[in-house]
Amino acid sequence: MTISTREVGRARIVEVDGDVDLGTSGDLRRTLFALLPQTPILVLNLGAIRYIDSSGIATLIEVLNDSKRLNKEFVLFGLSPAVEEVFRLTHVNRIFRTVRTEQEAVGPA
Amino acid sequence: MPLGITVLLVQLMLASDARYLPVVRGTISALTAAIGWDDSDCRAITLALDEAVANVIRHAYHNRPDGVIELRCRGNTDGLEVTMLDHGDAPDSVRICAREVGSDQVGGLGTHIIREVMDSVSYQRTESGNLFMATKRLRRT
Repeated sequence: MTISTREVGRARIVEVDGDVDLGTSGDLRRTLFALLPQTPILVLNLGAIRYIDSSGIATLIEVLNDSKRLNKEFVLFGLSPAVEEVFRLTHVNRIFRTVRTEQEAVGPA
Repeated sequence: MPLGITVLLVQLMLASDARYLPVVRGTISALTAAIGWDDSDCRAITLALDEAVANVIRHAYHNRPDGVIELRCRGNTDGLEVTMLDHGDAPDSVRICAREVGSDQVGGLGTHIIREVMDSVSYQRTESGNLFMATKRLRRT
């Protein structure tokens, strides 16, 4: 799994490529928790994630809960069918703000 | 109860190290495709069994990488039977519980996935160790 980040307007975009599982979700968790206090809008691109397990979903829930506490926005976009299936299986699709494109996630310039 | 005639038997013995989870996924993915499930079901079964192995790594061996996990998958004409044996701590019955649907709680997701995907799931403490058993029946249309 590789993680890269960039800024678009007020948002920080996090790009993840590869598998998010028990062995890699800790890296994703550390990255997201480090960035969350630094930006009003944290955006995660899930488009290049080939696989995500419950430890990855748990990481996203933890970040979402912390974003609410810090009054930040945490937005997901680019969910592949494989990732959407895991969201459905774990019944978490309604708790996240998910959009289709980066532009929708970031909002108006 | 055994399902059908055995057509494939795959046995993996692996260390309790999360680095080997991709090997488990690759094996289960190929096995389920060969038995005849569609892509969506293959992904779901692979996820469920990956979660079962990950649970053993986390909860039986507490992320120690030197434990042994024995995974046995019997593919047959009617579906898949899986047994997994480990020699770590016994499963905590409180952890093996249903998770509230749609909640923002972090715990219990893996167990929820396993129960949601597989047709039958059981956990036993035996003289040989902790035994996980699960089946998934192939539904022909």
